[in-house]
Amino acid sequence: MSESALDRTARALDLVPYLLEHQGISITELAKVFGTSEKQINEDLILIHMCGLPGYTPLELIDMYYEDGFVTVSDPQSLDRPRKMSRTEMSSILVSLDLIKSLRTDEIGSEIEALQRKLQNNLEFENPFVVVQELRQQPVQKILESAIAKSAAVEIVYLGANRDTRSERKIIPIEIYIANKIAYLNAWCETSNGDRTFRLDRILSCEPIPGRALVTRSERTEIDSGANSIILTIDKSARNFLEDNRAIINKIDGVDEATVSLNSIDEEWLIKTVLGYGGSIRVISPEAISLKIADRAREILEIYGENSGKTGK
Amino acid sequence: MSDRKTERLLNLTLALLATKRYLKKSEILSNVLGYEGTQETKERMFERDKDDLRSLGIEIEVGDLDIFFEDEPGYRIPQKSYELTVPELTGRELALLSIAANYWNDSILAPSAQSGIRKLQSLGVPMTFDFDFRAQYRFENPTALLDDITSAIASKSQVSFSYDSASLKLRHLEPYKVLFWNGFWYLIGRDIDRSDIRLFKLSRFVSPLTIVKKKNQFVIPEGFNAQEHLPSENLEIARIAKVEIRKESGLILRNRGSILSEGEEFDTFQIAYENENAFLREILWFGASVRIVEPIELKLSLIALLQEVIR
Repeated sequence: MSESALDRTARALDLVPYLLEHQGISITELAKVFGTSEKQINEDLILIHMCGLPGYTPLELIDMYYEDGFVTVSDPQSLDRPRKMSRTEMSSILVSLDLIKSLRTDEIGSEIEALQRKLQNNLEFENPFVVVQELRQQPVQKILESAIAKSAAVEIVYLGANRDTRSERKIIPIEIYIANKIAYLNAWCETSNGDRTFRLDRILSCEPIPGRALVTRSERTEIDSGANSIILTIDKSARNFLEDNRAIINKIDGVDEATVSLNSIDEEWLIKTVLGYGGSIRVISPEAISLKIADRAREILEIYGENSGKTGK
Repeated sequence: MSDRKTERLLNLTLALLATKRYLKKSEILSNVLGYEGTQETKERMFERDKDDLRSLGIEIEVGDLDIFFEDEPGYRIPQKSYELTVPELTGRELALLSIAANYWNDSILAPSAQSGIRKLQSLGVPMTFDFDFRAQYRFENPTALLDDITSAIASKSQVSFSYDSASLKLRHLEPYKVLFWNGFWYLIGRDIDRSDIRLFKLSRFVSPLTIVKKKNQFVIPEGFNAQEHLPSENLEIARIAKVEIRKESGLILRNRGSILSEGEEFDTFQIAYENENAFLREILWFGASVRIVEPIELKLSLIALLQEVIR
């Protein structure tokens, strides 16, 4: 992979002022910060070392010192200040500030607003991004966040969708994440002895368990993967299925009618989900699941007194 | 070898930044390290280098040295246009900005967010972290089109692209804003053929973006508010359904509805819903444990859906 001279120039121009404010930084750290290899950073430093102002005597060169993998700059010549931020640099940070703000209702939200005003006053261009995030704040979130910070255990009452149950569980919250409009919690569940994901809006109550610290937990257990491939055909009208389930989709072919292969997932989940889309999603394989879905459809039609025709009687 | 070119570009930047007066082209070519060859080669090199530096966003000012050198322009990089000027940031603000910059994980926005934050971290303000963000955010990765779109918005140039909708069509648009809505990316703007504000999902673009070369072709209307143009579910009037839920089942539905009466096998609930399709999916999730009583249309839609399945 060869890098253009322009990309290298840009990095070198940014390296010098960064070094000036991070004297004695290690090359390993620099490579991490600048998203490149240690070898590349070394080459950049050698190059910078030879640059300077007309005359190019030691007095006019950028004065830099590196030893044992640590770098110090004593004279940056005219490169003592960072370059101004580009339009994309500025706007990619502004859009994530917007996002964080929309996810917070506490005082940090208003702090971010003040910061954005400060930056925007200085902006030479219009911010092209607009962020709209709808998320119903869940009252349990605060307790869960503080439990995560302390690695503390909590006891929850949870409504499980897959098996339609209400259960009391002792869990150790690990991570909260937001996807689409829903907040989820990843946690170690002591009750079922495994990693579980919970929807925050289905946690009915949440109580800290006093004096309980983190227990040793096993490595994350994945649902058995790849054994038999699941293939669906999905009509255009059900395309939001594709968008909502990106995480489990392996491959998509076709435009008008997509053929999708999924990573292994819970069978019950698949049956219930596909059924909800009526005829717009069909399970091609495994066939057994497609038969189960049809059976379930007949079962429901029966409670409406509808004759499903093929009940086999 | 890119080394020599990089070195020359650096030396040129350093020299043009250091000078207060304009440097004559002849001074640059003879004094700045790296210009070699015939006069013509050197001049061509210098022209290319200027373009290259400008493409990095560095402003090179051209000026007349004085009245006696009218035919030979001078060059310099004004310090003010080169360097980052942001209002005094506190350590806490810088920490907030770093968190923001790290939000993009490995998406295509990440490199520019990262290089942006590196510049802010070169201002000499020590960061102070005294808060935690525990909630992660999972979002759709923006496509590579994002860059083209934001530059078209910046230059106010019309764009066209093929879009995957009911019928595949070429769209012509005055691009107004990029909308990041509940984790998905959209382009909002005025559809020129329809003469109306339209919303397009970036993941459904099926062609590259063609940007008209002309700039300033339109103005974004004063006070344009993207949010007003969202097809909001919340605007749909909530409807009420009456459903029967089997004892000990449909717990999630029970939790969000209110009970009307208890029965032997089923209890009757009243539940509000906004989007019919979403609500039908919610009900079907519980199989034969939930039965719709009213509205009749909802019940008929559900039956039609199931007959599709077994057809």
